[in-house]
Amino acid sequence: MGALSIRDVRKSYGTQDILKGINIEVEDGEFLILVGPSGCGKSTLLSMIAGLDSITSGEVHIGGRLVNNLSPKDRDIAMVFQSYALYPNMTVRQNISFGLEIRKVPKAEQDKIVAQVAQILQMEQLLDRKPSQLSGGQRQRVAMGRAIARDPTLFLFDEPLSNLDAKLRVEMRTEIKLLHKRVGKTIVYVTHDQIEAMTLGDKIAVMKAGEVMQYGTPQQIYDNPVNLFVASFMGSPSMNFIPCQVVSVNNKLGLKIETGGQTHVFPVDAKGLENYMGKEVIVGIRPEKITHKVDFLAGAPNFYVAESLIEIAEPTGADTLLMVKMNGKDVVCRVHPDHARTHGERMPLMFDMSKTVYFDPLTELRIA
Amino acid sequence: MADQMQSQGASRFGRVLVYALLTLMCLYYLLPLYVMISTSLKPLDEIRTGNLLSLPVSPNFEAWIKAWSGACSGVTCDGLKGYFWNSIRFVVPSVLITTIVGAFNGYVLSMWRFRGSDVMFTALLIGCFIPFQVILLPMARTLGTLGIANSTTGLIFVHVVYGLAFTTLFFRNYYVTVPDELVKAAKIDGAGFFRIFWRIILPLSLPIIVVSIIWQFTQIWNDFLFGVVFSSGEQQPITVALNNLVNTSTGIKEYNVDMAAAIIAALPTLFVYFVAGKYFVRGLTAGAVKG
Repeated sequence: MGALSIRDVRKSYGTQDILKGINIEVEDGEFLILVGPSGCGKSTLLSMIAGLDSITSGEVHIGGRLVNNLSPKDRDIAMVFQSYALYPNMTVRQNISFGLEIRKVPKAEQDKIVAQVAQILQMEQLLDRKPSQLSGGQRQRVAMGRAIARDPTLFLFDEPLSNLDAKLRVEMRTEIKLLHKRVGKTIVYVTHDQIEAMTLGDKIAVMKAGEVMQYGTPQQIYDNPVNLFVASFMGSPSMNFIPCQVVSVNNKLGLKIETGGQTHVFPVDAKGLENYMGKEVIVGIRPEKITHKVDFLAGAPNFYVAESLIEIAEPTGADTLLMVKMNGKDVVCRVHPDHARTHGERMPLMFDMSKTVYFDPLTELRIA
Repeated sequence: MADQMQSQGASRFGRVLVYALLTLMCLYYLLPLYVMISTSLKPLDEIRTGNLLSLPVSPNFEAWIKAWSGACSGVTCDGLKGYFWNSIRFVVPSVLITTIVGAFNGYVLSMWRFRGSDVMFTALLIGCFIPFQVILLPMARTLGTLGIANSTTGLIFVHVVYGLAFTTLFFRNYYVTVPDELVKAAKIDGAGFFRIFWRIILPLSLPIIVVSIIWQFTQIWNDFLFGVVFSSGEQQPITVALNNLVNTSTGIKEYNVDMAAAIIAALPTLFVYFVAGKYFVRGLTAGAVKG
């Protein structure tokens, strides 16, 4: 039995369904990310796991126990909130020991735990300060300390990094990952940031409109998205979607692509695509799979070259993002800065079609 | 450059105008206070012969002493002393009860919403708009039924009932600005309904407690209508006694005693404002929750 098991959990307010049957199993020590756009129900689901929101139907098990009717304090969980939710009138020390005090942990034991937690998070010197005297990052650390002091079966994080500035967010992200490695506890982490999802998660559940669209490892979700939504949500810059006609070329399937004033046909070999002969499909290709022409790869299977007209060039330092038009759609390509040309110029681009995915334009589901 | 000079000149002129206006307003509002204080320090002869605005020739506190312990109202000549303590006796409990219960109501109405809590809040809100006069008769009936008519307890009851609408409104509106996540965090920590109120919410409430105390104290201390209707004789509050003292028709009109008595009656509210106002610290929770 895993650390957390969510079985056909639903939530409705009146006739409005917020969650439409969620099923997730999390193994002991796993880091689960719930990711999705705002309003997808991810925070509601977290609240229901915590016991702060009631469950309309379905079952939530934590550490093998059915917790549907248990109050938050009896669920053996700890939670870190977006706003940190530190008690403003208490010092850091009191904030951390408040929960211990309520559970009647002896004073000596409390002091020991506070000292341990302070050491883990390197905040011994902050213990006697009030939350208002701390910076955003320090507050976040105290909030995590409060959670660690509880020593729960399950940690819940509700968008804990959203209130931090960009640089601090990256630092704290690393810190959370290190903490997970060190403490080894199961974590459920809600975010709307796909980069946090990719970097932190062992498993990701991508949610939309109260449903889990896809559940899997970050790489599975990145490489094999089940539908157009997941494909567009994960990855930055996001995947290119080019509507292409499927044609026949030398007894094989091909994709008709018009760019830079010329029409090309790229032969492809994908199961399921033959049913779309003569029809249009949506071709999904990540920006990093369209790059400058590398001579020794050009001509290899799945690699094709087409010349295109650059509309905009955006240097990011490590790569330069070039925007070109293909079949009338804007397409972003990730090119090494040494090879990138600037806007208004033409350059040959090389397509790596090996990881290309195909979607039905109507159902938006994955074809191949 | 020239433009800048000009705009500087204009702003200086504006500033002078503002200060002049403010000073004038101050004088206008402070003048009655000045007249009251100076008159209260003059003997009667000086008042009769002298100018209203002139300073007392030889200030003395005889009128104050008389107002406190010797002035006559009706048949008794004990001054305001007894009535002053009457007022303290019912104002302090009324203020404390309305503040505490108001804080509790506000906590429930903002943090523990229940079915119908908004309707209840609206109903309470309407309580703020009910004029004193409307509730006089029903309240007299109620006090009679409860057997606390014409008693300090009865007066406390009236002021608590009337004041709760206001204090609940204060605390509820203050608590809706306290983030829900604070209560959620406390719930997960295992704190219950009362512990969250006592340990988390109440310590955050100092600014609004001060507001509530100042407001309630001023309202209840200065109340005349409830005092004159729901109490009698020895039980009456200072506002009623002051009225009786000033309006006594026997003997000569002692303006200096009247003025001193009026100031005595007003002092406690000023005192509360000066003492509590110091603790009127805004933004006690600022920065505690969001960065």
